[in-house]
Parts: sequence; C-alpha cells; structure tokens
Amino acid sequence: MTAEQIRAYLDPFRDQFAEERSLVLPALKFAQTEKGHLTGEDLAAVAAATNLTPAYVESIASFYDRLYLDPVGKRVVSVCVSISCMLNGSDELLEHLCSREGLSGEGGTGADREITIQEAQCLGACDRAPCLQVDAEETMGPVSLEDADGLIERLRAQPQPSPVLR
Amino acid sequence: MPDYAPVDLSRADVVEFELNGRAVTAPAGTMLVDACAAHGVEVPIFCYEPRLGDPLGACRMCLVRVEGLLGLTTACSTPVAEEMIVDTVSDEVKDAQDGILELLLENHPLDCPVCDKGGECPLQDLTFRFGPGQSRMIEPKRHFPKPLELSSQIALDRERCISCYRCVRFSQDVSEDGDLTMSERGGRSEITTFTGEAYEGRFTGNVIDLCPVGALTSIPYRFVSRPWDVQNTPSVCASCSVGCNTELTVREGEIKRVQGREEPNWEVEEGWICDVGRWGYGADRAPQRLRQPILRDGDDIRDCSLEEAVAAAGLLLARQPRTSVLLGGDATVEEAFIARELAAGPLPNGQTGTAGVAGAALGPLRALPGAQLGDIDGADLIVVVGGDPANQHPVVELRLRKARRSGIRMLVAGPRAHEIESLGEGTRTPPGRLAAGLAAAVEAIAEAERPIVIWDELDLDAEPDAAAVLADALSQAPSGRQVELPAEVNGAGIRALGIAPYSSLLGREALGGVLAVRADPGAGPGAEAWDRALESAGPVIAIASHHNTLTERATVVVPCSSHYEHEGVLVTVGQRAQRLRPGAAGPQHSAPGWEILIALAHRLGVAPEYRSARSAFAAAAAGTPALAGLDYESLGELGAPIAAPPATDVNGAGAPRGFQGEGLPLVTGRAAFGGAVSHLAEGLASVASGEEAVLHPAEAARLGVGDAGDVSLSSPNGACTLRLRLDESAPQGVVFAIRGVPGGGVEGLLAPDSAPVKVTVGPA
Amino acid sequence: MPQLNSVYRHREADRVLTSVDTYRLSGGYLALEKALEEMTPDELLYAFHRSGLRGRGGAGFPMGRKASFLPKDAQLAKYLVCNADESEPGTFKDREIMELNPHQLIEGMVLAGYAIGAERGYIYIRGEYEYQAQVLDAAIASARESGYLGNGIAGSSVGFDLTLYRGAGAYICGEETGLLESLEGKRGQPRLKPPFPAVKGLWASPTLLNNVETLAAIPPIVEHGPDWYASMGTEKSPGTKVFSVSGHVREPGNYEVVLADTTLRELIFDMAGGLRAGRRFKACWVGGSSVPVLAEQHLDTALDYESLEEAGTFLGSGGCIVMDDSGCIVRASLRLASFYRHESCGKCTPCREGTGWMENVLQRMVDGEGRVEDLELMEALFGRIGGKCLCALADGAVAPISSAIRLFRNDFVRVINDGSPPPQPMEPRLPMSGGRSNA
Repeated sequence: MTAEQIRAYLDPFRDQFAEERSLVLPALKFAQTEKGHLTGEDLAAVAAATNLTPAYVESIASFYDRLYLDPVGKRVVSVCVSISCMLNGSDELLEHLCSREGLSGEGGTGADREITIQEAQCLGACDRAPCLQVDAEETMGPVSLEDADGLIERLRAQPQPSPVLR
Repeated sequence: MPDYAPVDLSRADVVEFELNGRAVTAPAGTMLVDACAAHGVEVPIFCYEPRLGDPLGACRMCLVRVEGLLGLTTACSTPVAEEMIVDTVSDEVKDAQDGILELLLENHPLDCPVCDKGGECPLQDLTFRFGPGQSRMIEPKRHFPKPLELSSQIALDRERCISCYRCVRFSQDVSEDGDLTMSERGGRSEITTFTGEAYEGRFTGNVIDLCPVGALTSIPYRFVSRPWDVQNTPSVCASCSVGCNTELTVREGEIKRVQGREEPNWEVEEGWICDVGRWGYGADRAPQRLRQPILRDGDDIRDCSLEEAVAAAGLLLARQPRTSVLLGGDATVEEAFIARELAAGPLPNGQTGTAGVAGAALGPLRALPGAQLGDIDGADLIVVVGGDPANQHPVVELRLRKARRSGIRMLVAGPRAHEIESLGEGTRTPPGRLAAGLAAAVEAIAEAERPIVIWDELDLDAEPDAAAVLADALSQAPSGRQVELPAEVNGAGIRALGIAPYSSLLGREALGGVLAVRADPGAGPGAEAWDRALESAGPVIAIASHHNTLTERATVVVPCSSHYEHEGVLVTVGQRAQRLRPGAAGPQHSAPGWEILIALAHRLGVAPEYRSARSAFAAAAAGTPALAGLDYESLGELGAPIAAPPATDVNGAGAPRGFQGEGLPLVTGRAAFGGAVSHLAEGLASVASGEEAVLHPAEAARLGVGDAGDVSLSSPNGACTLRLRLDESAPQGVVFAIRGVPGGGVEGLLAPDSAPVKVTVGPA
Repeated sequence: MPQLNSVYRHREADRVLTSVDTYRLSGGYLALEKALEEMTPDELLYAFHRSGLRGRGGAGFPMGRKASFLPKDAQLAKYLVCNADESEPGTFKDREIMELNPHQLIEGMVLAGYAIGAERGYIYIRGEYEYQAQVLDAAIASARESGYLGNGIAGSSVGFDLTLYRGAGAYICGEETGLLESLEGKRGQPRLKPPFPAVKGLWASPTLLNNVETLAAIPPIVEHGPDWYASMGTEKSPGTKVFSVSGHVREPGNYEVVLADTTLRELIFDMAGGLRAGRRFKACWVGGSSVPVLAEQHLDTALDYESLEEAGTFLGSGGCIVMDDSGCIVRASLRLASFYRHESCGKCTPCREGTGWMENVLQRMVDGEGRVEDLELMEALFGRIGGKCLCALADGAVAPISSAIRLFRNDFVRVINDGSPPPQPMEPRLPMSGGRSNA
C-alpha cells in the first residue's frame, strides 16, 4: 500500500476532523485491507500519508488487537473466551479448533497460512455464546464443534475476500 | 532526578493552605507536589517532570490525601488551592506509596548488583524511603530480551522499565523527533523505535538522564563505575557557544561521563544537553590529543619536557622583531587576558587577534538589552534571524520548540532551509537580501509587547544592512531584547577584552613570531592566505590540546588542557560568563593554558601578580568594564551575564557588503555532528557527518552537475571538492556547503574575514 | 400520557426500522422536527435534566447534568461523541440498537447536538462491530439524504453532521477519555480528570460524551416529554434499561425493563427463560463483569441503581451474566482477571502491574498450586489497586474478584485445599446447532 493510495482514501473525510492525527487509525485499517496485516512499509506509508513518524504509527498500530503487525492467515477466526462464552463452552471450542489446525492451545497460524485461530475478548454476542468471528464479519453463534469444522472447511475453500476487513 | 519545578515562595500572589497540619503558602497555580517540595515535604514522583509538559498522572507515586476530594489525589496534577487541607504522611498515604512501589517491584528484575543505575537510582531510593522491606511476590516475572542497543550509545533494558513515559514524552514533546515511542499495551508495553531502528538524533542522550531506573543507560558508561567511586563536578560544555551547564563524572582523574545538571540552569539549557556535549569528551582520548611537547627543526622533531618547550618558546619569541598572538575562539577569558598582556608587554611589537569576524555592524545590536535563553518562555514574539539553530546551537532548538508549543508567535528569516524555519512563519532570503526579507519581522516587533530577536552572528556580519534594520526595529520596541548566536565559543569574552579578529593581522606586515593559543587559522576562513602568511612567518609556538594544522608545522608544540581539565571562564550565549571546572587531569605532559602562559611570561622576564586562573580572572575583570564586579564567587555554578557593550557609532558600517568572486552565492553552515568533536569522539563515530555541498536539483542540472557524486567549488580564496547532495527544499541560485568538518576544505573558499563570496561550481 | 412499554422503538416494531421511511412510519424523527421548531437548546437541556436520564454506559451519571457542564461560550467549538465501543463482557444492548434501530440513535444525537450547540458528532464504534458499522454508515447516509443531517436540518437553520469512527479492538477505548485519545489518533490511554471532557474533551474542546442507549433514549423523551420518562421507575432511577442477559440462561438476549419494576429473579427466570434443567443458581454479575458479583441471596433485589447499590453491587452496563452451579467461581474469576489484564492500557502502575499479579495468583490456584495465604495476599492487592488508578478499569477487575472471595470464600478455600478446581461438567449445554449460527 502506498502513501498516495492512503492519502486518496483519506481525502474525502479529512475535513471531518479538527486535527489530522485522527486519520491515523482509519489509515491503518485501510492499509491493512490490502493483505490482512501491516508490514513495515505499510506503516511507513501511513506515516507519510498522515505526517507522523513511522515510530508513532507503529506505536498506534501495536495498541490495538485487530491491527496485525505480523503476517496472519488468509482468514482470522477469533473465538470469544470471555465469561459468558466461557460458561457456554468456548474453551472447548477453542481447543478443538486449535488442535484440528495443529496449533498450541493459545492459537496461531497453521503452516499453510490459511487460517489463524485466536482468542478474542467479549465480542458483544453473548446471547449467541459460544461465539466466534471470522475477520470482521458478523459474529456467529452458538457454534458447535461440528459447526466449527464446517466453517473452517468452507473458509479454506473460499478465496481471501478483497478488501480484507479484520 | 528528582525534577520538581522550582517554586518562588517570595511571590506576592500566594495561596494559603494546610500541609500536614502546618499552615503554609505557595504561589497560586503551583502544583501541590512542587509546593510540598518547596516546604521540605517529599512527595515521591516518577513520571512527573515539569519540563516535559502537563502532568501525566501515570505512575501514581504521588498520591496524597486532599480533604474533600474522593479517594487519594495525584499531587503532581493538583494545583494548590486556598484552604486546601493536605496530608502526605497519613497511614493511608503511606500504604498507597508502599503499594505503588510494591507493584512497580513486582516485575522489576533483581538487577541492582549489575545495574549501572544502582546507587543513584530513584527506584532504589524511594523504595528505601517509602516502599516495602520485603517481597511477597512469588509469581514469575515478566521478561523481555535484554539488553538491547537502542543506539550505539544507549542501552535499553525493557525489564527494568517502569513505564513512566519520560523518554517517550521527551522524544514526542521536547526534541519532537517522534522516534522513540511506547508500543504494545498493558503489561507488554515496551519502549521502542520504528521496527528496531537506532534512536539517533541530536538529543537522544537526554533520555538517559530522564530515566528514573536502569532501563536506559549509557553504553560507554556501562559497568564503568559506581556512584560512590566518582566525583561529580559542575562545569560548562564548550562544544558550541550555547554553554550548556553540565555535570562531569570523574573517576581517578578521567572523565567517565557527562550529564545534564541535576539542578538545571533555567536561564540556559534547563537541564538538557545535546549528544555532542554528552559524548564529546571522548575527543580528549582520541589519537589526535596532544600529549607530548616537541621541538621542531625542519624535519627534525624532538620530544622535550614542558619546561624545555616553554623555555624554547620564550627564547624564540623574544628574538623576533614582531610577534602575533593568535587566540582560538574557545580560548578562555583567562588565557585571552594573559596572552593579550604578553602581546602588550614583553613580546616584541606584539599584536593580538582571535578567530571570528569583525562584526563592525553588529555593535548597535549588541548594545541593545540582551536576554537569556530562559527569557524566551516569557516572550510574546520570537524572531529568529539567520543561522541554523538546530545544527549550530542545538539546545536553542529545544527552546524554540518549547516556545512554539506554548503558542508564542515565531518568525524566521534567513538564507538556509532548516527545521526551525518550519516551526514559525518562515521567510527564506537569498544571500545579500536579508534586510529586505525582514519586513514582516519589523512589523511584528513593533506590535509585540515582549519581542525577542535571536540572531546569528555570522549571517548578520555578512549582511550589515540587515543588522541595522533589526537594531533599529528593536531599539524602538520598549521591551524588546536580543540574543546573539555567536560563532565562537568565547567570542563575547575575548571581544570584551578588546581583542580584534586575527584576520586583521593578515596582509599588512609579516606575522613575525607567532604565539597561538588554541588557534588554528589554517582550518578556518582564508586557509590559503593563512598558509602563505605562516610560510613567511617566524617561529610558531602552538599551544593546543589537539593536533591541528598549526601544530603540524609549529616550531614548538605545547600540549595544554582541554576544557574538561581546567578552570576558566567562557562568555557564552546571552553574554553569560560561566565557569569551567576541572574534571579530568589531562595528559601528564600537558598543563592548563593559563599556567603555560604565566610560565611563558616568566621566561620573557615578567612576573605577573596573578598566579592562578582565579586571580587571572580577577585581574582581567579589574581592567575590563564588561566584567566589572564579577569573580569566581559571584559566577558560582550558574554564571552571570556580563555588562552589555556600549553602543557604538557604526559609521556607515551598516552598508551591504558586496560579493567576492563569480558564480553562485555560497552559504555555509555547520552540521550538528559535522564538527571536529564528533569526528574525534569515539562515542559519536556512528553519527559523525561529513562535508557536503547542497544544490536544488534544477540548479544542479543548470550547472551540469545533476548526476555528479562530487563537485568542485572555487572562489577567489581557494577551491575544494565536495560530495553533492540534491535537495528540493534548497533554494535555487544558491549553493550550500557544510563547514567545520575536519579536512573538509570549505573554509578555503572563504576570505579570512568571512566576506560574502560567490563560487563557481563544476564537476569534480 | 400514553403508557408505552418501550423507549426503544425496534423492540416493539413489527418491521425492520433501518430505513428512514420505516423509521418515520413508526413515528421516528417527529421529535427532532418538533424540537427544532418549538424548542430552544436550553429547553432541550432542561428536558434532559428533568427526565432524570442517567448514562447507560456504566457510570450512571445524570445525562442532563453532564450536558449542563459544557460552557455556554458560543465561540468555542463543541462536540458530541457517542460511545459505541460496547466491550463490557456480557453487554450487547447497544449492538441491537445500532443494528435494528440506527435512526433512533441518529435522531438522539442530532437532538443532543442541537441542545449543546455542537455542529459535529462522532460515533466511536468498536472495530469488531463492523457489521453494525455498515448499517450505521447506510443509515447516516440516508438520514443525510432525507435532510436530517447536514445543513438546515428538517428545514431549520441548524446544522449538524455525524462521523462514524471505527475502533480496532481495545476495551479501554470505551473509557471516555481513552475513547477521546483514540479518536484523536493517539494511543487509547485515559487522561487525568479533571479536566473533564465537558470542559476539555475532544481536541481540548467542550465535549458531551454519552453511550448509545443514553442518546437513543432522547427522541422519546422529547416526543412524550421528560415527565413521561421520569414517571417510570423511581426518582433516582427513572426510565427503562435494556439488560443483556447471558450465560447459563435458556433465553439469552436483550430485555428492556422499567427500572425498579423488576427484580433480578424476574429478569432471569421470567424473562430470560431461567436456568437449565436440574441446575441451581450460583452467581450473577449484573452490570457487566466490572461489578461485585451477586449470589442467590440477592435474587430478589429490584433492578434499579439504588437497590443494586444497597445489595453491594452496581447497575453498570446492565450486562447480566448468569452462572449456575455447574460453573466454578474460581475459574470464572480467573477468566475475568485475564480479561482485565489483557485490556489494561498499561499507563498507570497499579493496573498494569496489579491485573497481571491477580491473574497469576488465580492461575496458580486453578493449576492446583494455590496457598491459603493467597487469599490474604489478594485482599492486600485489592486495597493497593482499588481507588488508586487513572481510570476505573482496575476497579472493575477488583470488584468481581474481591466480591467473589467474600461471597464464595469456601469455594476458593476448597480449590486451594484440593489442589485443583472442580472439573468442568461434561453435560450438554445449550443447543449448539441451530439458533442463529450461520457457521
């Protein structure tokens, strides 16, 4: 992602903010839609497009859970592990997903870089516990182990959406 | 540390409140934490640092009880209020203090035995005074890879970091480089730069002084010493004419470390120093340090003792029909005074001259009321004329950034593209047209109530008409003041002694015998003219701390003290006389400059009544109106301004100067890390910068050097070859060159009096 | 006065309300039109004040009073900010409003903006609510097209517009000054208060910051009058509240109740379907997880601010998480501790260090390495963390854990003595397939 592309994205709503610095978060989210994560070059491009230093941009990006500074899978599956989901079996759901993907209990990305399984904090879908979210799509639940298997297979079969919204 | 803000209890607008049962007062608006300190009550702090801006309230160390407020309150962010009732010693407060320290120590590694900060560590000290005596933490501590090299000079230990944010706030809000930040979140927060790049800049070392623990430490000082094995001596940095107040850490006669002062000099640097000032002491250890007196006879060079060298110098000089005494711009007041006395006394037909420019047209400006750097905070308008503070007077840049942050209007005018320009309303003026470019500034000065003009000596010497315009405008502003950015470290001091530039010694008659004190005219403007003059001069006695072009040809070379090794007074920015104090012992066969000169006097047959630096200064002050009333006592640790020079009659000296030569006007400047100190000090090796010429790409194309790596420049005074850099922000019709780089050669393009010059530019 | 059951239109609507047309058909935007025509900003502010509406994000501060703190100086730019960063565990009421009834939020924001003299409002929505954000994007665009946003709203001379700003995953950005920092393009770390956002908020300007549920209550308050709103509930707890019920209940979901009219028992057992067969009530966190836990003896507490305070907890966000006796209070407390440790912004010492320490101790207990003195240690930590921080996050960690130890001490002691927590029950839980999963 280049600084020019990011500037072009920001231009239409630049004047909605009294200070330019506010643009850094939308800029980061936009830059991430290209590959699904942010490289050093992406951060530098965001810095150039927002008149901030690359170090500053990195400090912002690293603050948030949904901005990825390391490569992640084609699809990111976030399993909610907060209290309501935990009470409804999300730990088993997470463990099941991790083990079928060959990952340790805390999640990660498989060798084929297709699917990242990660813990998420309360997704606001406690009425559908246990729930999970694929990238930034509508949170789904209640998810049974069979549902989860079916989901992962379907995600593998699909191409990565573009833009990638995490 | 600790860095409480000073409180002036004598002010009239005070507020009365109760502190631990005592009725006390403090000026309205004082933060409670500072008011307590002023009354001898310690409220412990970590993240609080008034020089970094508004209080952060992050560490929670300063929690106290203020009656009427819910819970405990951070004293750092609570201004004193009338009838406030404050308790800093109740059980509740003590438990809170103990708790914060317990929590800070939870993950803090047990590194004290191997941590450089030990013994001068606020975390240790506050734990001892306010914290738990035992740990009940049995969980695994948080770990980070350590130590990391934040730069070649700064080590980062993330495990020790207590997230006080001081270093980050310095980078974001003081030096404004924005390269040091906090990344991640929560307990995994870590200090970092952009994906691990080195933290390099002009002021990076200040984070070491700021860090209250051993997270940011000096790599050169790593494992070197414990605080109880060293002496800390207050002194002044002599790397540039700002004269930042420093603290020398000395062990067994060697400088181990230079820091900012724990008690800042609010009039000068407010506790910050630049990286040249911090690590420049390494230049004293460079191979170029003069350690051995020598006598030279053609190709025959013989080592000798100091006494022999001084004796030989005396014999040689006494026999000359005439003598010239050349003073370097950083010669101390004492050295300059004694040298002047020698020239006026026992030396045959002696004349004295110093490095620098005549500045005839600068008299009216210099005579106007002067300001200290600390006065910038109270101005309502700042006009920066000429110069390049960021590179040439680094700490001034911090002052200007601070002023900009507090909303003070700033106007900048001058021939260079530089960072300060972007801080204010900038007017770039082609060389020779600065006067015309000051229209906006003149108008602003007339409207302002407390304007301060900061002006560069060299640029206004080159454009006397601009100096006249400024002097005129300022003299009409009732509260207007000026601050000169001098080219030479002790230019004002030497000038106060009535010593003219040594360029005036050239060309009339031969120099005769030369006594040089820290002087190196062959590395300054008019290098080729000096080379010729020295060729036909008599014997040269070179008193210097480091090898230079003069010591390479001198008949007698006498190693003298560096500015880390002697008593002496320098008059730096703000016309401020400040005392150097000796830290290191210096090489065995060297001696303080003043001592060598007094010995020389004896050899020449006179016995001055002064026999120490202190009494030499007293003698100088006795005969110098500008220094009246000053002595080592009154200068103390913070120095004092000297009296302004009397207004002079300019006699047409305000007329514009024409250019020598043909081609493009040449504008020179210094790079922050381009000077000799950076090239000699090992600690600055990774940032030492070289000489370069800068052209706008269109200009370069016009000259046929668009693709050239190197270009040759030549003027009526000399020629040199430089690396070329193309820069779109550089103006057209001008060529810039960095001077001051050892072996660079730019000085050869300049006339001895630094007159404006044009150069022809071509492929190398 | 008409006796309406719901403040939030979508709860009673028989159609989808996401378009301007259907919203208007349900009576939407009438309040806005009426207010712009007949009321001054000060009259609106008075209506907010008189209604007694309290902030529904968690703090419960009276909205009208907060709005009145903004200086009246016409020269200063003022801002309205809607906190749509709903991240409190067990809370999903704002999600529903934004997804099913975005225009009621928009209308409420225009009214609030008009009342405080702001020309622009920002909705800060959590990054994970991308789906709801897109619904809001469309609603904002259509509201603008219909003249309810922009210049000359509904034919008046009032101008107000909205910017939707997406977060990227940080609970602390739901703290009001953490939100402002994030919105300003900085790390979402809370600020010292004072100054309060009403005086120095967004870009150091006076700012009114309120929760989605709070702002969305404004149109009916204007339409039916503040007295209608105040007539429901009690003097200190007027109006209605949407409780999100989840956990071990049979019908998790959002339930709107008139405050003080309903007890916790009624909410859980009558409205949310009660517990699963054969299960007994164990514990419940009624205001999201950042409040003291309640036990069986508290079930008959009325749901209003004062009654819940008397019972030793807080109404908070109204996210009611129910745990039956199949759950382990120690494990639950550990899970909560992990949440707070993960979400700590790291700025202040007690939270950054203390949340990790609490998690570590509870983890040891769950791993079978707990010690009896750990309970004393935790008590001491509670005292050293609670009330000492820059914001309320760590207090939100201390509340459920300290109350759990207080109310269920035996459970903790048993876990410590046994050297391991009760095993997770291997019985079927809620129906796992079917429901609303589109997995």
